[in-house]
Amino acid sequence: MLAEDRIGHYSEFRRFFAGTFDLDREGLKQPGYVTAPSGTNYALVFIARSGEPFPAGVEIHALMPALEPLDEDAVDGDLWAILKWMIAGVGGDWTVRDLEATGRLYRLPAAM
Amino acid sequence: MTEPSLVLPDAIRTQWPYRPRFARVNGWRMHYVDEGAGDPVVLLHGNPTWGFLYRDFVGPLTRTGHRVIIPDMIGFGLSEKPAREDAHSLDGHIATLTALLRGLDLTRITLVCHDWGGPTGLGFALSNLARVRALVLMSTWAWPLPPAEFHTHLFPWRMMHAPMVAPYLMGRHNVLVTRGIYLSVVDRAHFRERAQAAYEAVMPDPASRLLTWTWPRWIPLDQDARALERFVWLDSSSPHVNCPRFSRGDARTTCSIMRPSPPASNNCCRMRKARTSSPVGHFLQEDSGSEIAALIVDFLKRLAQTGRGRDGRESHRAAAARRPAPRPRARRRPYRPLF
Repeated sequence: MLAEDRIGHYSEFRRFFAGTFDLDREGLKQPGYVTAPSGTNYALVFIARSGEPFPAGVEIHALMPALEPLDEDAVDGDLWAILKWMIAGVGGDWTVRDLEATGRLYRLPAAM
Repeated sequence: MTEPSLVLPDAIRTQWPYRPRFARVNGWRMHYVDEGAGDPVVLLHGNPTWGFLYRDFVGPLTRTGHRVIIPDMIGFGLSEKPAREDAHSLDGHIATLTALLRGLDLTRITLVCHDWGGPTGLGFALSNLARVRALVLMSTWAWPLPPAEFHTHLFPWRMMHAPMVAPYLMGRHNVLVTRGIYLSVVDRAHFRERAQAAYEAVMPDPASRLLTWTWPRWIPLDQDARALERFVWLDSSSPHVNCPRFSRGDARTTCSIMRPSPPASNNCCRMRKARTSSPVGHFLQEDSGSEIAALIVDFLKRLAQTGRGRDGRESHRAAAARRPAPRPRARRRPYRPLF
């Protein structure tokens, strides 16, 4: 659903994922799993890259029942909820209020 | 080179009727247009636009005896769009532009730079001084630190390209194209009617929009920035290039990131500044394209009249400026011999 090659662009984001999913110990053993508001489960697949701290990137995959297509609107809302969860977890200067304001500025359906 | 199928709507083709050309440069397929004959004028766009931005410039420049070359940056327009972020770097884009312009064997180039076309174009100019005749700079920058104030704000700038947020906003929802340009022009209704579709058409899928959020991450915000050394080089070398320049800065722009030239630098004596008659936004070509094209035509006309000695040769001063600029030293790495 989303692919991020550079999760450490702001290093506090890498620290959030590493801490939340115990990645310093778990490494690449398994994805991180979350359940979004629609009830759909998502796998956060972490990516390693030579020369960079782990994780270097992350992909979000929707775990759908086999052969079933996605409900795009529901997925979009779920992704927005995952972003809000992430920003709240990163904390510090990063606030859900600013994320929501950015979403409204650009008229994202999930933020309106 | 084989041309891929073009996706431009008919309404866009009428505004952009130029023959598409493609070159294999630096490992990528680059689209460009090449119209007219005469001394070349190379027009460089930035994020998230493509050559279409300069549609009002082609006619005035070719009619006044110039060859117009407008490349689409790799990752934008009708050029190849790499799928991984590491495919993009400032040095890589400079090298790609260099490959195209050297491949065309252009000399006496006037470079017109906007947005990321600035650091890219200046990078080419500083490492290919013998090929460059003049510079036109519009709403761009090439200094390392401190960043422009807009780029320090979390809302909306840093939030927009934050990890995971960027591929959602700018990839999945394409906000820099669907809203970003629109919010950064003055005549929004005109833009929406005449141009919006042209920018959306060439970025149909999230994967095709990667560079829209990659470029913001290359703007230096602190001492750890990836491109800091390159911007230091651009900043420190540019004032010593004794090249005629034309810049258009305007405090009324919505995102003016043109830093005033240092008053003591020797480029000021050869820099001509101009203002448009009405307010413009960051994408000033959309607001006042014809007027800016006319200003550039006038600049080039004056340059032709005054830029050379009476015998037609370059002045000693101009020739002295064509010494190659120093490059930063490459980082040493423990390479392993293969044989």
